[in-house]
Amino acid sequence: MIGATKKWIFLKVSSAILVPLILWFLLNLVSFYDKSYEEVLLFFTSQPSKFIFSLFIIFAYFYSALSISEVFEDYIENEKLKNVANKLLYLSAIIIPVLTLFLLFRLSL
Amino acid sequence: MKDKNPLSPHIQIYNWHISSLISISHRITGIINIIIITLICFWVSLLLLGSSNYELVQNFFETFIGKFFIVGTVWSFSFQALCEIRHLFWDLGYGFELKTSNITGLAVIFGSFIFTILILGKNIIL
Repeated sequence: MIGATKKWIFLKVSSAILVPLILWFLLNLVSFYDKSYEEVLLFFTSQPSKFIFSLFIIFAYFYSALSISEVFEDYIENEKLKNVANKLLYLSAIIIPVLTLFLLFRLSL
Repeated sequence: MKDKNPLSPHIQIYNWHISSLISISHRITGIINIIIITLICFWVSLLLLGSSNYELVQNFFETFIGKFFIVGTVWSFSFQALCEIRHLFWDLGYGFELKTSNITGLAVIFGSFIFTILILGKNIIL
């Protein structure tokens, strides 16, 4: 299996998982965004919302990194610039969710 | 050939159709959504600062820009999710006929607004 096929499969599997996670997140977002600190903290630190939110962040970044790299592939001609853009994209898609998950677990302590 | 992939022609070269409108909007909302998710991650990190500093976030969500951010987030993610469902049906081999493609394209556009109203309405009613 070539790399592009693997990337396509990862993209499709992650998008299928992401659709219900998006619906869950939106339904919760509109009900807690304007609530007090304690209520927002409770949402992000209690189960199952902490676990589902963690999944949402991981899959959202994974899917976004793969799909935005396709945009780079289509519109950036310069190979060096494309490589730098892709590396920055993949790096941020790892660092930001890992850091957020770490903060979530710190908040739970 | 491996390193010489052809670039997409500039979008202005095409006549606008529902499919092209959905395609470019899907890409734009995809980039907007990753920015929104990054802001949400930043929001989570602000919780570490404690309740007194969190008032800044609460005050932001009470402003017009804060409300617009929430409405925009709901619409942008709804649009993205509906586009993904349309793509998944294409991947299964359904919906390629021009008429069906136009109908599902319109369903994505109108569906995203209907979803936004329903999701926000749920919060207002309950």
